[in-house]
Amino acid sequence: MRVAALVIMLAAVLGGCGEPDRPEPEPSLSDRLGAGDDAGFARALEPRRFAFPADHGPHPDYRNEWWYFTGNLAGADGRRFGYQLTLFRIALIPQAVQRASAWATRDVWMGHLAVSDAARAEHRESERFARGAAGLAGAQTEPLRIWLDDWVIASPDGQTWRLQAAAEDIAVDLELTALRAPTLQGDAGLSRKSAQPGNASYYYSITRLATRGEVRLGADRVGVAGLSWLDREWSTSALAEDQAGWDWFALQFEDGRDVMYYRLRRSDGTTDPMSSGSLLAGDGSRQTLNAAEVALTPLRWWRAEDGTDYPVAWLLALGDGPPLRVEAVFDDQRMDVSVRYWEGMVRVLDAAGAELLGRGYMELAGY
Amino acid sequence: MSRKLLLASYRDLRRHQGQALLNLLGIALGVAVMVAVDLANESARRAFTLSLEALTGSATHRIEARSGSLDDAFYRTLRVERGVRPATPVIEGYAVGADRTFRLLGVDPFSDGDFRAPTEGLAEGDLRALLTRPGTVLVSTIDATELDLRPGDRLALEIRGEMLRVEVVGSYAAPRPAALQGTLITDLATAQELLGRLGELDWIDLRLDPAQAEALRARLPDGVRLTTMRADDSAQRRMTDAFHTNLAAMGLLALLVGGLLVYNTTTLAVLRRRRLLGLLRVLGAGRLHLFAMVLGEALMLGAIGTGCGLLLGLAIGQGLVGLVTRTINDLYFVLTVSTLLVTPATLLKGFLVGLAATALAALIPALDAAATQPQQAARRSVLERKIHRVAPRAAFAGAVAVAAGLALVATAVGGLGVAFTALFLVIAGYALAVPWALLLLARPATTLANGLFGTQGRMAVRGVTGGLSRSGVAVAALTVAVAATVGIAIMVQSFRVTVGSWLEQTLTSDIYVTLPGSAADRSRERLPPQLRSELAAIPGVVSTSAGRAGEIQSGLGPLRFLAIEDSEAEPRGFRFLERESQDPWPPFRAGETVLITEALAYHHGLAAGDHLTLQTQRGPRDFRVGGVYADYSTDRGMVLLARPVYAALWKDPGVTTTGLRLAADASYEAVLDTVRALVAATGQPLAVLANADIRAESMAVFDRTFAITGVLRLLAIGVAFIGVLSALLALQLERAGEHATLRALGVTPRQLTGLVSLECGLMGIAAGVLSLPLGWGMAQLLIEVINKRSFGWKAVLLATGSALLAGLYPAWRLARTPPAVALREE
Repeated sequence: MRVAALVIMLAAVLGGCGEPDRPEPEPSLSDRLGAGDDAGFARALEPRRFAFPADHGPHPDYRNEWWYFTGNLAGADGRRFGYQLTLFRIALIPQAVQRASAWATRDVWMGHLAVSDAARAEHRESERFARGAAGLAGAQTEPLRIWLDDWVIASPDGQTWRLQAAAEDIAVDLELTALRAPTLQGDAGLSRKSAQPGNASYYYSITRLATRGEVRLGADRVGVAGLSWLDREWSTSALAEDQAGWDWFALQFEDGRDVMYYRLRRSDGTTDPMSSGSLLAGDGSRQTLNAAEVALTPLRWWRAEDGTDYPVAWLLALGDGPPLRVEAVFDDQRMDVSVRYWEGMVRVLDAAGAELLGRGYMELAGY
Repeated sequence: MSRKLLLASYRDLRRHQGQALLNLLGIALGVAVMVAVDLANESARRAFTLSLEALTGSATHRIEARSGSLDDAFYRTLRVERGVRPATPVIEGYAVGADRTFRLLGVDPFSDGDFRAPTEGLAEGDLRALLTRPGTVLVSTIDATELDLRPGDRLALEIRGEMLRVEVVGSYAAPRPAALQGTLITDLATAQELLGRLGELDWIDLRLDPAQAEALRARLPDGVRLTTMRADDSAQRRMTDAFHTNLAAMGLLALLVGGLLVYNTTTLAVLRRRRLLGLLRVLGAGRLHLFAMVLGEALMLGAIGTGCGLLLGLAIGQGLVGLVTRTINDLYFVLTVSTLLVTPATLLKGFLVGLAATALAALIPALDAAATQPQQAARRSVLERKIHRVAPRAAFAGAVAVAAGLALVATAVGGLGVAFTALFLVIAGYALAVPWALLLLARPATTLANGLFGTQGRMAVRGVTGGLSRSGVAVAALTVAVAATVGIAIMVQSFRVTVGSWLEQTLTSDIYVTLPGSAADRSRERLPPQLRSELAAIPGVVSTSAGRAGEIQSGLGPLRFLAIEDSEAEPRGFRFLERESQDPWPPFRAGETVLITEALAYHHGLAAGDHLTLQTQRGPRDFRVGGVYADYSTDRGMVLLARPVYAALWKDPGVTTTGLRLAADASYEAVLDTVRALVAATGQPLAVLANADIRAESMAVFDRTFAITGVLRLLAIGVAFIGVLSALLALQLERAGEHATLRALGVTPRQLTGLVSLECGLMGIAAGVLSLPLGWGMAQLLIEVINKRSFGWKAVLLATGSALLAGLYPAWRLARTPPAVALREE
């Protein structure tokens, strides 16, 4: 559930690229989303048949699409790292205009890369943009390759993946192997964001990918291993008018369970009933989580430099299960990019905070 | 006492309001011209710097292709395969529309933000449309306001000789709005399409540290080079420096004339009041009091005049800046400036210089006033005798000053300050010699005037020489003023004549087929390869020549070049200033030598026989300089190569121009029609130019270039006119009593008018004759500083005309004055 991307991309495209920050309070989601014209794009109206590895590739009929990798890794000495590598595609117009120049583009690409160092409580991020033309950025299926400049996500078979991305002071070079088949989120891959038909996306995840490789933070190059999570989503529209933001969790438990849950927040702070998620048992069986089955209570807030408060620790109750504590490994993992959002490594503990039950990533947007 | 003196001063000014006004006007004009030129110059210079900065942004390096056009795939290689970042591609071209030349800047908005501000500062509009709709542009907020352009408006542009319509989808606000005025920003794709340069880039901007730069440089493909921005910047800056020097010289000259005018009017004010000053002395006023009174009065007038001058200067500067910009556009760099950069410093400088000039000019008259003897003051004869005695000594001092000035010029190497000091010495020295020269001229003038006008003529000459204390100064001021305008006129005119005859000599073909657009665009395109042979086959065409113009890299930095080839034995139309051997052509054709223009030789201290390294596509190659030839097409200098040599070494067989020579009996019109038809058939927008067209076009460019000097000349003439008017008015008013006596003796108003006109005319002629050598000398000096050219004629008429015109009013006024009134004043 990465609606953040859509907002960020639209903001970037409409408000000027590479703008470092916008001090004014962020406009509501619907303001930004309303700026685009949906006409002419395909829409996610009903469940579809997914086919892999083809669906790992691009779906240009839809306006937005992203490849979203996050992961918790550790060096040989146990030093823990988190990473995020995301490539977003957004179409500016439904149909490409026939033009003579190879630089003429229909798609804008945006990339976000971040590395978190738990030991030093250090989080660095990088953002870049490119046109989906002249070979500068794009996505292809045969062989699967999604790239923006020299940031590359590639997979020969949909099972093993290679992520390579380097910015000035951070870099990742990772090999991933899927430990699970793709999980179709929502209703067989149709993830509804509001009651209105078409306000939905196609959404699948590979919740566990064994990962090894190297991360770089500043001058440190560290060989790492751990688990990654891939979220794939494409759509043409997403949120309803009264939705303000979301809190999204991707949790990998030590016992083999994987949980994805997004809580859609309304403007009045209440939880939208369209909030949804899934629970994968160790054997791969999937159980849908709806808003009524999940209870989320913020435990602690962290105030960023600009005064924005983010709930960085939560009490999470899944169905009848015991309440869990989900907390940021360290507080400041905010993405200071075109549109700011919090995205970082979390750990899952028992309610008392004594026992480590799992690890994951959390995204807090619209604050 | 001082209050009484103030009162006396005030009363005198009240009585002679006209003169006070002229005094003010003189100071105001002098200051105005200087300030205006200063402002216009500074504004253009600043805009130039801003444009450069805005274009370069924070880039430290630039990747360019030696051929001038970079394969756009290289950018992908750079970013995607090598991960070089930040980097942004740029393509640039020019478009004419809405009565101006726009720079069309094609950028990649996704990476451009790393370097420049414009796309970030999208003031209004739709980046989505800019990216996805063909033919869409952003205009600067200034241009949008000026041209009343709103998103959705269309703008007709001529690009590469084709009329295209682009759509304005928004405006951008650069942090310094003036910087990118006149620049249309488009998406790179759109720019490639509009400019017809698919697959091409002009350059890639980069930000690299030295180590990264070195690593990158080592891996660049052939024909691609990495330059540091600073070097590029200074190369462009050098181009316009000569021009700004030109303008600064004119601004200073205007101030000099203004200063003399102040001196002149202040002196006259003192002379006029010698009687009053003497009386004041008799009444007990101290020397210091009188000194303070005259100086204070001058300073007060100076302050008011300077204030007016500043305001006037702002107004004139606004007009001048357009002219300055036009010259830069024609010659160097497309630049749009409509905003005058007014800094407190410029205004303060103008004010201080104006006041200083006034104080300096008033110093001598003030000292003179202080030295006034009570009895002597009343008697003119004493003064006149003194002047007659002093005149030769002054002339001698003047001669020494002139000699010193000339000696300075002879020894000065380059230094502009020295050149100006020399110029000032010559002018001041010359002015000192004027009264004596007047006395020398008196004898032949008397004979001449007597022969022509009889007694009246004799009286007129005597009137001028007899009142040397007044007329000497007036004529000297007039001489300097006229000489300044004459000097500039001579310089420009001589330059024009030289360029004209050079064009005549150089344009040896009758018809030219060439690529349209500015020279900046030409380096990237070629004529269709078969065109030249097709043209040569036209009946009536005797021979053809071909040229390829563009820019190449050399050991001296980027150089303009022309590669020529002639179907006749050897190229014609070259005037060699020096050459290695009697016949420079065989080694030239063999590729051993290149020929260079005078400007290149001058700027880089090159002479025939020297060596020059050029960066060819096959690596650096050494050439001998086979000769230096006269050329006025560029002041940056140019290298001439044999086209076959160029084609082989640079792997570039294309040509940009073809010239056709016709048989003597061929029908010019018929051939021209055939050529036009052939060219139309190529489907390429090419220009067919007749020899005469090029000459006319070139001279039009020349005249536009020097339009600013024309305006400055007019201003200087204005200053001179005011000077003459004030001098003659003062002189004639002073002699009102004398004239009244004449009237009372029965001289008719008509005869008196004749006499006064004659005196004015004589002074004018004297000033004209005397200004001629000075003007010529100044022209020589200016040319020595700026360009080394010879001279023409335009002097005597101007001076006489101006003096006569200026004399008309006093003459008219005198003639109308009833004798009784004038006598009463006596």
